[in-house]
Amino acid sequence: MARYGMALDYKNCINCKACESACKEENGILLGADNHRIWVGVNEIEGVFPNLSIGSSSFQPSQCQQCDNAPCQSVCPTNATYYDDNGVVRVNPDQCILCTYCMQACPYDARYIDDRTMTVDKCNFCSDTRMIQGETTTACQATCPTKVRIFGDIDDPESEISQVLRDREYHRLKEHLGTQPKLFYLK
Amino acid sequence: MNLSKILPYNKHTLKSFFSFEFTPLNIFMFLLTIGLVTAMFYGIAVYLIHGHHAYGVTRQHAWGLLIAMYVFFVVSSTGLCIMSSLGHVFNIKVFQIIGKRAIVGAIIMILVGFVVIAFEIGHPIRMVIYNVLTPGLSSAIWWMGTLYGMYLFFIILEFFFLNNNSHKYSKIFGLAGLVVGLAAHSNLGAVFGFLVARPIANGPFFPLYFILSAMVTGSYLLFLIYGWRYKMKFPPEVEKFMITLAQVLGLLLAILIFFEIWRMLTAVYGQMPERADIAMHVLTSKHFLIGEVLLGMLIPFVIIIFSKGRAIKALVYASITGMVGIFWMRYDLVHDTQLAPMMPLKIHEYTSAPGLVTYTPSAVEWMISIGAIGLAFMMYYAADKFFNLDHTND
Repeated sequence: MARYGMALDYKNCINCKACESACKEENGILLGADNHRIWVGVNEIEGVFPNLSIGSSSFQPSQCQQCDNAPCQSVCPTNATYYDDNGVVRVNPDQCILCTYCMQACPYDARYIDDRTMTVDKCNFCSDTRMIQGETTTACQATCPTKVRIFGDIDDPESEISQVLRDREYHRLKEHLGTQPKLFYLK
Repeated sequence: MNLSKILPYNKHTLKSFFSFEFTPLNIFMFLLTIGLVTAMFYGIAVYLIHGHHAYGVTRQHAWGLLIAMYVFFVVSSTGLCIMSSLGHVFNIKVFQIIGKRAIVGAIIMILVGFVVIAFEIGHPIRMVIYNVLTPGLSSAIWWMGTLYGMYLFFIILEFFFLNNNSHKYSKIFGLAGLVVGLAAHSNLGAVFGFLVARPIANGPFFPLYFILSAMVTGSYLLFLIYGWRYKMKFPPEVEKFMITLAQVLGLLLAILIFFEIWRMLTAVYGQMPERADIAMHVLTSKHFLIGEVLLGMLIPFVIIIFSKGRAIKALVYASITGMVGIFWMRYDLVHDTQLAPMMPLKIHEYTSAPGLVTYTPSAVEWMISIGAIGLAFMMYYAADKFFNLDHTND
């Protein structure tokens, strides 16, 4: 069994939002501002013209951090949120009671209500759309024009993601909360 | 089988059930109750058609007014249960007269709370099934829900035995209801206290505060219930009980004010992000200053201090402001917990600059949640008609 994670070379992101479109298309996400599994965060440029900080102008593509210690999983009253065999945090819509406690507990605003099933939905690394068919990439990774995303098995020392994480510095979001996220932002 | 032998109750015809004295206050309460219940059913009808889209809740503010009112009702229930246990569980004599009336109030409040939450939880029936089949034992909501179910069972039995004058069993189930109720209610506090991602709520404060504020809420409700029952003309033993209750309430309010002061001081001190800024926002909001502090704590507290707890008629009126304040305490705890956006870099769904998360309850939310107060009035009226709730009948 694998332990999937994703490294993001986020400084290469050009905020084209192709990843968001690909995610919506691949996973059938409904239209509407609240309905998104992934997004691109925009850091506002700091300073006053003409002394603007070019370095502060950056984009932060983000999504569910696929935490190893996911707060959304531990608060779920019916175990609708679970870790699958590949360490991906997933939701079983048949068990979800839509109490939305997971939406309160998630430190990353990664969850939303899917109006198709009337349950809480989130990124699952395309487990039920691409991985199940033997694909090795997620939709967002496959479509990214500047190759921001590297997806793979972080337990496999030969995988590209493992090599990148060995070679480069990275940080993880809100790591101090003890969530042990599996999204790595490369410096 | 004759039901009245097992559970003594007053028999009524439809006419006698709906007959009451036509005083201006009774007519006002009758119209208010009808209005509130009508609003609630209208709101429920709209919800059943449109689902959560009928509410003002959003992705970033997923819990709204209905959660606040659920907390309001179950806090009221636990409060009444705790205060009544002072009499028939802990044998404090002056409190022994309130047993049946307080417990029937506790049963009504928890039932109304369950009605409100049924229209907030997306799949309440699925909840009952999977709470049993795949219990999430690390979830505070699972424990809270399960324990509240047991609590309801115990207090119904407690009322049953109180009504049958079986004091041995009413004491056993009263104690069981109290212990399970305390566990359930502190778990409700932990639903918020366990949120590691939200520093304004995270920590042991809410589980403790929920128990304390439940006792304050129970005291306010007892003033209102007994003020209404005796229309301000209290028999001596009831007057004695209310003066004692006022003194206990004074102490509870003093502790509550002390708790709140230190909660806010520790939240603001050190300027910790997502805690100090939220605390400052709360401290300068009208909800907190007028709702929680003035109406919920100071007005009743000042009356108790200056009258040494003897102004019980004034305290009945002050309990109305007290309950309005308690409502704002519940609303604020739900709203303030969600004020800080979890991903500040994510511009608010691409439409506005990041800031604090905003929320305005929709008309449907107001109708269901405030309308549910009418349901509580209606159930109390029915309970008062069917059962002999006065201590003089014991």
